[in-house]
Order: sequence, then structure tokens, then C-alpha cells
Amino acid sequence: MSSLLPITSSLLGASRRLMWRSTPGLSPLLRLTPPAPSWVVAFGKKDLPDLPVLLEEELEEQFVRGSGPGGQATNKTSNCVVLKHIPTGIVVKCHQTRSVDINRKRARDIMREKLDVAYKGELSELVVKKKESVLRKQEKRKRVNENLERKRLFNEALAVDNKPGDDTA
Amino acid sequence: MWWRRTLSSSYRCYLERRRSGAKIWRCLTRPTCGAPAVPAGRITALQALDVWKRHFVENGVTEPEQSSQHIIAHLLGAKTIESVEQQRLAEFLSKEETQQVWRLCSKRLSRMPVQFIIEEWDFRDLTLKMRPPVFIPRPETEELVELVLTDLQNHPGSTETPPTCLEVGCGSGAISLSLLKSLPQLEAFALERSQDAVDLSRENASRLGLQDRLKVYHMDVIKDAEKMPGLFSSISVLVSNPPYLFSEDMATLEPEISRFEDRAALDGGEDGLNVIRQILTLAPDFLSNRGRIYLEVDPRHPALIRRWVEDNVEELRFVETRQDVSGLVSASSRKRSHIRPLRWIRIEKPRSYYAGFSSGRLGSARPPHT
Repeated sequence: MSSLLPITSSLLGASRRLMWRSTPGLSPLLRLTPPAPSWVVAFGKKDLPDLPVLLEEELEEQFVRGSGPGGQATNKTSNCVVLKHIPTGIVVKCHQTRSVDINRKRARDIMREKLDVAYKGELSELVVKKKESVLRKQEKRKRVNENLERKRLFNEALAVDNKPGDDTA
Repeated sequence: MWWRRTLSSSYRCYLERRRSGAKIWRCLTRPTCGAPAVPAGRITALQALDVWKRHFVENGVTEPEQSSQHIIAHLLGAKTIESVEQQRLAEFLSKEETQQVWRLCSKRLSRMPVQFIIEEWDFRDLTLKMRPPVFIPRPETEELVELVLTDLQNHPGSTETPPTCLEVGCGSGAISLSLLKSLPQLEAFALERSQDAVDLSRENASRLGLQDRLKVYHMDVIKDAEKMPGLFSSISVLVSNPPYLFSEDMATLEPEISRFEDRAALDGGEDGLNVIRQILTLAPDFLSNRGRIYLEVDPRHPALIRRWVEDNVEELRFVETRQDVSGLVSASSRKRSHIRPLRWIRIEKPRSYYAGFSSGRLGSARPPHT
């Protein structure tokens, strides 16, 4: 786990764009971010000014409007916006309103909240929890091994005792 | 209106014998275009959604799921199905509600656009009334409005107070009303050749309380061109989503459009530029110095328009082309993407209207005929 430390410290310093590009190995960690809505809302409300800035070049946007030309030549009512943040792989879907423009804006707001959770989660809860669970596992393994060792010794001692003393009927 | 004929209903009544031996008359309204009959028993919204989605699929109606969702959500008083409570969706619909669902969903079988069926649609933060054959605002045009607003904030350009905008071909009034809503000081004018659209724009303006700031003129930029000079002056922004389809595109329109929307709102002539050229010809007369023109166009147009303006309208300067966001990114890793249509162009009437004045303050310079 000590290998995580240099990476977490670079999260604090460098610009976010560079950070994500240089640490692709962290994405699996990020996907552990719990999707609990209450958590997202709490961060959003508290840290509004601190929400990450979205860089458009890091986003991939997709409208579920079918293929072919747009504009006057088509009239589709589907207005679901799918927004993907390329560096983290986080995907946000929004079809809350009948306006594509508003859905796009809301998708970005939701994305900012999710990214905020992802970043902060990295530095606090998630990392700590992971550390704790790893430590707990190590502890458990140690205890199990100790028990096995104790049993082994006990059994050996029993075997030694039983061999000579056959007269105990 | 041919769709009214296909939706004429006929009543079919039959005698239903119950197990108890009693006989009960049941009447069904059966729209003659093959729509399913209104169910005799009670049905929940969820069931209705499912039934109609299947009917739409069977009948080759595009967007089967969204169509039933939009119509039924609207009847339940909501804008999206997601905003309807689960409990409400699981409740039985009343008899009247069921009949309404059937009446409206049956219209969709004739490929009537959902916006015309529920008689409304949203454009940015506005809800507008919709009525055939007036052109339904497209999502791309929302981005055009966003572009105009951002530009007005960042580059005020002409310093007219109050700022004025002129929309050519306002249709349902979407662009003008959206700008008016976002800019409280703005005064808007609109030209529209279709009486239906003029009426609808005025109706939408009233519904939004914006009627005092929008003046709609029933005029055709091509046919009534001789009435134009002097009609407007010192306009800050000229904006338009003009008919820009190529004639060849008109032949392959989907039924939702070809059967229900005004063809004149779409057809831009052989190269799709007939109306655009006319707008650009008349624009210098209307615009203040530093005034700007924003047009939504076909992706094949920007280079053509730029060249045409350079050759034919010396008072205007092409500023930029912007792409719309519907870059088609496919879900697979092989990205068919970055086909980003170039869709809007911005043209400016520069300050130095007189070629000789290249430096010094020109703030008060005006074209001779104003």
C-alpha cells in the first residue's frame, strides 16, 4: 500500500488533467465509488465552489438521437444525453427534461458532483477503508495461521504422549 | 387534412354474456386506421405504456417507447415519464384517462409527431404551444440560441440600447422568445411568411407574458423584399433558422415531417441557400454597425456561404463557423465520431462600413439611408 502514497500526493499537487492521464491504474479503484445518491448530494451541496472544473476536451458526449443527419431533416423526441469523462471512465446519463440543452447542462452538473466524489473519495474514505480492510485481512490471516500452528503443536504433543503410555486403558 | 379522415371512429357494439347469464352491452370506439380498441376493463398507466409501445412497434412507428412515454406522461400532467411517481403509474387509469390515452396514441399511428399530438414542446427553459403545420423547433437550434447569448455576453458588439434582435422565419417563436426570456432588455422583431406561424408565435408570446417585447410581421423575405428597406434599422442581432434543406433532401423526409410540417419551412431550393442568400442580401440594411447575423445552416453550407458573401455582400464579414454537438460517437471502440456537422455561422457587419475609414473612432458612422 505504500505504493499508493506517492500517487495520492501527486493528486493534491498537479493539475487534474495531467494527474488522471499519468495514473491510469487508479481507475479500478475509482469504480469502487459507491453510487449512493445521498453521498453525492452531500458533497455537491457542501463543496459547490470546489467542484472540479470540467474540461470539454475530456468529455465525450452522445445523444441517443439515432444516426443520420440532424437539424431540420429529422424530428426526434429522444433527448437522452450520455456524457462520458474519458480519463476516469465515469458515465452520466440524463434525460430529466424534454430539452436537450437543459439535459446537457444537468449532465455536466451531475458529472462534476461525481468527479468530486471520485477525487475526494480517493483521498479520504475510500483509501482509508481499503487500507483498513487490507489490514483486517492480514490480521485475520495471521490469527488463522497462529491457530493452525497451535493445533499442530497440540496434536503433535498428543501423539508423543499417546505413544509410550499404552497402559492407560 | 388527410389525417383527420384516417382517425374517424366507428362505434362497434356487441352483447357480452356473463357467466351469470346476464347480458351486457359493450361499446368500443374503434378508430378506422387499425388502432387497437379501448380496453373494456381497467388498465394502469404502466400497462398502457406497454400496450402502446407494442402497437407502435407492430406498426413501424419510430421511437415507439418514447412516443408512448411522452404522450402518457403528458396526460398524467408531467413532462417526462420519469417524473411521474411509481405509485401513480401503478394505479388504474380512469375511464376518461384511458380514452384520452387511446385517442392520442392512435394519432401517433399516423406518424403525427408527438409534439403535435400533445400540442406542446420544450425549447430550452420554455414550454411552447405546437400546432401543425408550424415547424417544430429542433434541439440543434437550442445550441444556436446558446451561442447568441454567450456571444452577446462576451462580445457586446454593437452598443445599441436597448439591444434589438430580428428573427427571420420565427415559426413558433422559439428563438425570439428564448432570447427575450434570457435578456430582459431585449426588444425582438420577427418576420414570418406563414399566417399560422405568425398566429402561433403571438400566442406563445402571450402565454409567456412576452408579447410587449415581440413584434411579429407577416411578411415574406423574398416576395415582400421591396417593402423591407427602412423597415428596421440598427438591429444588433439578426438570427435565423431558415429553410435550408436541399431539394433532394425534401424527397427523403420521414413521414413525421413530410406529412405534418410546412414544406416551405424546410425547402431552401436546389442548393438550400435561397432564403439564406436573401437574408444576407437584406441584412446590411437592417443591421447596426458591428451588428451580427447568426444562422443555422446545413453542414454543407458554411464554405459556400462564406464565398458567396465575399463575392456579393461587401458590407458583411464572415466571422466563424461553429459545430454542433451531435458528434456521433458510437458506443463501440471504433469511433465513427468527430463527424461534427458545421452548423452555425456568424457573420458580422463590421464597423468600418466605409472602406476608407480604417482607423479612428467610427462609433457614430451610419449608412447613408438611415
